[in-house]
Amino acid sequence: MGGRAAAGEVTVLNHSALPHTPAEAGTDSGTGVVAPSSAPPSSRAAAAPQAAAPQAAASGTAGASPAPDTPRPPRNGARAVALALTVPGQVVSLLVLVLPLLVALYMSFTDWSPTRGSLFDAEFVGFENYGELLVYDTRFIYAVLRTLCISVVCLALEFTFGLGLAVLFMREFRGKSLLFSAFLTPMMILPVVVGYIFWMLFQSNGPVNQVLELAFGAGASVEWFRGAPFAVLAVIITEVWHWTPLFFLILLSGLNSVPENPVRAAVILGASPRQVFWRVIMPMLKPVIIVAFVIRSMEIIKLFDEVFMLTRGGPGSSTETISLYIYKLAFNDFQLAYGAAAAFIVLIGSLVLVHLLLAPVRDQLLEGGRK
Amino acid sequence: MMPRKLTPLQALLMGLALIVVLFPVFWIVMTAIKPPTDWNASPAIWVPSKPTLINFQTLFNPDAIREYGVGGVSQAATDAVIGSLLASVSATAISVVIGLFSAIGISRYGNGGKSTPLVILSGRMFPPAAIAVPFVIMFSTIGLIDSYPGLIAIYAAVTLPFSTWMLKSFVEDLPREIEEAAMIDGQSRMMAHLTVTIPLIKGGLFATTMFVFILNWSEFMFALVLSYSNVSTIPVQLAKYVTATAGTLYGVQAALAVLAMVPLVIVGYRIQSHLARGMTFGAIKQ
Repeated sequence: MGGRAAAGEVTVLNHSALPHTPAEAGTDSGTGVVAPSSAPPSSRAAAAPQAAAPQAAASGTAGASPAPDTPRPPRNGARAVALALTVPGQVVSLLVLVLPLLVALYMSFTDWSPTRGSLFDAEFVGFENYGELLVYDTRFIYAVLRTLCISVVCLALEFTFGLGLAVLFMREFRGKSLLFSAFLTPMMILPVVVGYIFWMLFQSNGPVNQVLELAFGAGASVEWFRGAPFAVLAVIITEVWHWTPLFFLILLSGLNSVPENPVRAAVILGASPRQVFWRVIMPMLKPVIIVAFVIRSMEIIKLFDEVFMLTRGGPGSSTETISLYIYKLAFNDFQLAYGAAAAFIVLIGSLVLVHLLLAPVRDQLLEGGRK
Repeated sequence: MMPRKLTPLQALLMGLALIVVLFPVFWIVMTAIKPPTDWNASPAIWVPSKPTLINFQTLFNPDAIREYGVGGVSQAATDAVIGSLLASVSATAISVVIGLFSAIGISRYGNGGKSTPLVILSGRMFPPAAIAVPFVIMFSTIGLIDSYPGLIAIYAAVTLPFSTWMLKSFVEDLPREIEEAAMIDGQSRMMAHLTVTIPLIKGGLFATTMFVFILNWSEFMFALVLSYSNVSTIPVQLAKYVTATAGTLYGVQAALAVLAMVPLVIVGYRIQSHLARGMTFGAIKQ
């Protein structure tokens, strides 16, 4: 299943994108009590590039690298301790993630609605909800397409601005740390408040229109929430403002951990600054860039809070995202079963998407490990 | 790369970016201190000539604003502020404690190392609107709907992946030989974790706690669908103000928005070096 692969790869990425102490790689299989059989080869393969990776990037509290053949403490009690430590988290995950998912999955195959009595009496309708959604429900299909379009535009802009800003921060200037904090501000503000702030800024007599009129004359002001193109644009501007700092932060930390030697070598060999950036630095940033895109895609697919405050999906359904549509289905129209089916379609789509996004780095990482 | 200075063009670009980033924050703070006459003026007033704290007072005493000849708000925000504090602080504590144990278990004993990320990733991708539906059903059955214990349970569970993964990355930064030395010295495994591991990741524990607090404090959708009358949080209250008055009480709404964001911005600056780690489940460590 795509999900298993995708999940495994994140761990791989997690291990090899950033250098750990070599000791860890050696001991992973040693104390693994209930470790799945597939774990050792993949973690070893991914661990190998650590040796080549620069120690400078490891920012942990302790950077010691003891010999892998230190004597092990007695193994007695390890299993009990391991269980005691992990069971609470697993129970909570089961109760709060897996159980509701199963309930929702069952529900999506019924025609249940709270007005019709208990869920267990509901009629089983097979894939009817899914068929209806994928074939006939244009509002759902448009919501999916709209969310995808908004996501692609937002991520492209956030990446571009974030990278630009991160590159500027590689230079020296005064007040750098203060500016760094200032540029992170948006991502610390809660999404509901961000939505509210931009709702105010985009009012017809708000400051955005005021600036537009100052710059382009009296006719330049825009009714932001009256029609589709401008309302969608307002959502995109809000989202880009809110999350560009995350790209900036991740890309800057990636740029900071690029080793100096390959860059120096390229310069000595006569590469222009442009070539150094695109041919030497960018390829090394690839894993970091992909992490940023995966994390952000997972979040933006669920876009809800800001749109709820800005437009509630309106006017009509012109800014309705997937989450907003499902929310309206479930809590305004009480079509819970139908909404659950919609959610599973989105889940499967997202799993495929994350799998595709992670595929390029996985190959790169595994090849690196075999050298 | 040799550190070089900014060219004038680059400095200009950065200045523009700074204005774009800070203007919305400036605007909400200014609106929060505007007297009612300035709220909806046309053309918009950028800096109020007579700044006032009346909007903040109105949040806790709905009739305070009447001295300006404006109808008061229907509902004080006091309950929402207390509710947000109660839910976020309790949920953060639960999430971090369980997450800490799981983090040690996963990174030191390899438990659930392969299956847990799958569950977490799927959970994170599932639209909360849909996961909220089974919750509403389950909580109605066991009487937890519209109650703080119910809300706290969900908050804690939803942030558990973040606290587990962030703490796991801190535990992994710590060489396991340090704990093993304590074990060889005769401490039990559990004691070694409690007395050696946990004190050594104190900084990480603090950052994780603050990060999870930010997530809980920001949560909107679950609070929206699981609260009717007994339970309220600041984000839900803000949405209610905007709906109830068709959005016309600008100053009071802005005051609540400022109240909601100030703690987060303070906490956020405090842990800014760990924000990337938290957001990426520990994949990026700076």
